[in-house]
Amino acid sequence: MKALTTLVLFAILIPAFSQTRITGKVTDATGEPIPGANVLIKDSYDGTSSGVDGTFSFVSEEKGPQTLLITFVGFKHFEQVVELSGKDITIVATLKEEINQLDGVVISAGSFTAGEEKRRTILKPVDIAMTAGATADIAGALNTLPGTQKVGESGRLFVRGGDGSEARTFIDGMVVLDAYGPAAPNTPSRGRFLPFMFKGTSFSTGGYSAEYGQALSSALVLTSKDKAEMNQTDIGIFSVGADVAHTQVWDRASVSGKVQYTNVQPYFGLINQLVDWTKAPESFESSAAYRQQVGKTGMFKFFVNFNQSSFSLFNHDILNPIVKQKFDLINRYRYGNASYQQALGTWTLRGGASYSYNQNDVRVDDKPMGETETGIHTKLVAEHSVSDQLEIRIGSEIIHRHYEAARYNEVLGGSEELSFSEMLSATFAEGEYYISNKVVAKAGGRFEYVNLNQSATLSPRLSLAYKPGKQGQFSIAYGSFTQSAQNQYLRMNTQMNPETAQHYIINYQVITNRKTFRIEAYQKEYRNLVKFDTANPQLISNSGTGFARGIELFWRDSETIKNADYWLSYSFLDTKRSYLNFPFVATPAFASAHNFSAVYKHFLSKMKSQVGLTYSFASGRPYHNPNRAVGEFHKDRTPAYHDLSANLAYLPKNNLIVYMSCTNLLGRDNIFGYQYSTSTNAQGHYESRAVRQAANRFLFIGVFITLSKNKSVNQLPNL
Amino acid sequence: MKTLTFLCALLISASTFASDKYTEQMTKHIHTVYTAKTTEEYQAAINALDRIALAEKTKWEPYYYSAFGNLMLATNENDGGKKDSYLNLALAAVEKGKAIAPTESELIALEGFVHMIRITVDPATRGQQYSGMAFQSFGKALGINPNNPRAQALMAQMQFGTAQFFGSPTTEACGLANKALQQFDTHKSDNPLAPVWGKEMTMELLKQCK
Repeated sequence: MKALTTLVLFAILIPAFSQTRITGKVTDATGEPIPGANVLIKDSYDGTSSGVDGTFSFVSEEKGPQTLLITFVGFKHFEQVVELSGKDITIVATLKEEINQLDGVVISAGSFTAGEEKRRTILKPVDIAMTAGATADIAGALNTLPGTQKVGESGRLFVRGGDGSEARTFIDGMVVLDAYGPAAPNTPSRGRFLPFMFKGTSFSTGGYSAEYGQALSSALVLTSKDKAEMNQTDIGIFSVGADVAHTQVWDRASVSGKVQYTNVQPYFGLINQLVDWTKAPESFESSAAYRQQVGKTGMFKFFVNFNQSSFSLFNHDILNPIVKQKFDLINRYRYGNASYQQALGTWTLRGGASYSYNQNDVRVDDKPMGETETGIHTKLVAEHSVSDQLEIRIGSEIIHRHYEAARYNEVLGGSEELSFSEMLSATFAEGEYYISNKVVAKAGGRFEYVNLNQSATLSPRLSLAYKPGKQGQFSIAYGSFTQSAQNQYLRMNTQMNPETAQHYIINYQVITNRKTFRIEAYQKEYRNLVKFDTANPQLISNSGTGFARGIELFWRDSETIKNADYWLSYSFLDTKRSYLNFPFVATPAFASAHNFSAVYKHFLSKMKSQVGLTYSFASGRPYHNPNRAVGEFHKDRTPAYHDLSANLAYLPKNNLIVYMSCTNLLGRDNIFGYQYSTSTNAQGHYESRAVRQAANRFLFIGVFITLSKNKSVNQLPNL
Repeated sequence: MKTLTFLCALLISASTFASDKYTEQMTKHIHTVYTAKTTEEYQAAINALDRIALAEKTKWEPYYYSAFGNLMLATNENDGGKKDSYLNLALAAVEKGKAIAPTESELIALEGFVHMIRITVDPATRGQQYSGMAFQSFGKALGINPNNPRAQALMAQMQFGTAQFFGSPTTEACGLANKALQQFDTHKSDNPLAPVWGKEMTMELLKQCK
């Protein structure tokens, strides 16, 4: 009996005698010791942390074959089977670096990203909303970045010698046709989508991913917000209208809706306008967004937007201003976008469909004109992480567009129709390979087929980035881009080939915690541009060519001055084209050689206010004076453009914001170009009229209230 | 017979010894997490808690305190990038804990605490989003257990911070802090490893209220 007890006790005590001591050292690939690594025997409590010199030593009571596991942040797990028999074991562990896509190298050539999550972004969504002079317009804020040209009478993004139609907008990967609202001739238009809808903005001025096509110069890739976090109602009352929005949140879904009405009439009644309005712009807009989480990783997003805007004005003849022409416009716009994303292990599938409908119902002296464009885009993309170093992405999309235009024909005494339907199918594949945390390469291609003219194009895209130190990095990029000829030319001749551009970009950028420096140079070659002869506009061909090259600088600092943040952008552009009705190679009218912006924001915590100032400069733009000889086409330059804008956001209460902004504080009479009379006057001269700002300044005052259970929420990030 | 009884008793005591080892080890490391001064001390305790978490597949407490340790490291860190990486580790641990105990009020409150510290990296940009997420977590934690003093205290802290930021009255926040302080005294958990931190933080907050 006693013997048995002893035996049992002995059996229990045995493990105590068979401890195994494990000692060793943890280092990285270069032999540097790793302190603080977790060293353990799997499925036991036994283990320790490595010391300052990377060494460790511990005792395990386990027996037999066991797995030794070493983990440390930023490194791959180290595993080794060890035999625990009481004999001392020595382990030398070399941990492999994990590819870290947050702090590691990233391809930065050509692109500016703004996001909430990553710290290493150049702009934040709130920057876009709170840039003075931008009046909460995405394009307005991006126009303070290098690579853009100020084209004051347009409001669109003109990127690196490309015209406004060469920059495309994408929401959640889906194309947006007609991304800008209607505007009276020579007045700036605004983007249809407000910055607050998006959690991420990626603005590429060239060399972008093979996923995006049909854009010669620039891709503006917007990622909409995920599920909302709390119920709230937002009310805004401002000088040109009012809006109300409500968000309802459930555990795994959210819905938000917004209605907005704007009417500029009362404002125009106070501030004199150059435009002879008979009915000032009025617009009604409603939008709704639905978000649903599906399973652990699935997210369904649905967004719709309806807009109707109208205005009416008189255009006066240049030679004889008493002669005037009535111009009425009603714009009807609908946009719908549904997308779904789901992660399945190392795969991510995403797909979506978008629908755009844009109708411009125009009457010129009550004669009907106008155009309608309908587009449907469907897309499916699969992304696969082959390893932590290699990621591949393949996808396919179809963009179907139907375009119809009516033109009043004086001879027929009625309108005639011009229309086309275009079906574009594209397939793209792209691979991104992290050779190490210092070097990444991305290569891909995009194949496009357009049914209208049976054109097939293959566009290669390549980029490479190298990060030699902790902060600075070099990037280079090359890409070939195509875009269908603009609607007004395609409708005349559906056999027009796509226009093409080749981009070559080299970039160096340093981002520290709160400072950014960036320099970029590029060369761009245009081919197959639309060309025709003024005398015979029916003879339209793809024989146009052109180039653009330039150097751009960007500096942002939110560290040096307390409570302040500023950025400076400079772009130099040299561009010439022979396209449209140009008699020979010349700089287009939208291009200015030098563009400069300075944006300054200051937070005054005592006054609960933020003030912002933006100064913009653009050197003179070419214009054509028909009184000159043909050989002097685009020889003249407009005066330089200067604008100093300011804004102020004041928060008297947590949930109340008073917002004021004013453009062109100094009241400079900026001239964007000159229009000339179509016939000569009595002296045989063509008379000119300057294209100016409709009013020297635009003043905006608004009050924004947020009602929610949590009183600290306000609309600041939305402005 | 006696032998059998003895063997049984032995087996039982052996098994309780095993579970006691969990409590004993946890108690030791929890103490370190509460009292650590240096990054090395925190790191050693976090590593030990992670080892226990890996070995014990059904316990949420090791993940909770591993997250808490990383959160403390994040609050002591000035560099935004490092702060974020500690917070990422904390959040990952909370997620693992929630996979074991999805309705544990303490874990959800801690998740909210992680969101709250996230704001401090870049208040202007992150304020709106993460304050919303933090408030939501605290609300959820209090929904599950209205007597969780930590959830209450964090909610008070969050309200106090936002009220201060906008220069508005802090009365409501201070009321919550007082309530939390009472709950610290009355709220007792059956779980010997249940979190007990937060009372001092609340008293600090109440000092600012006066």
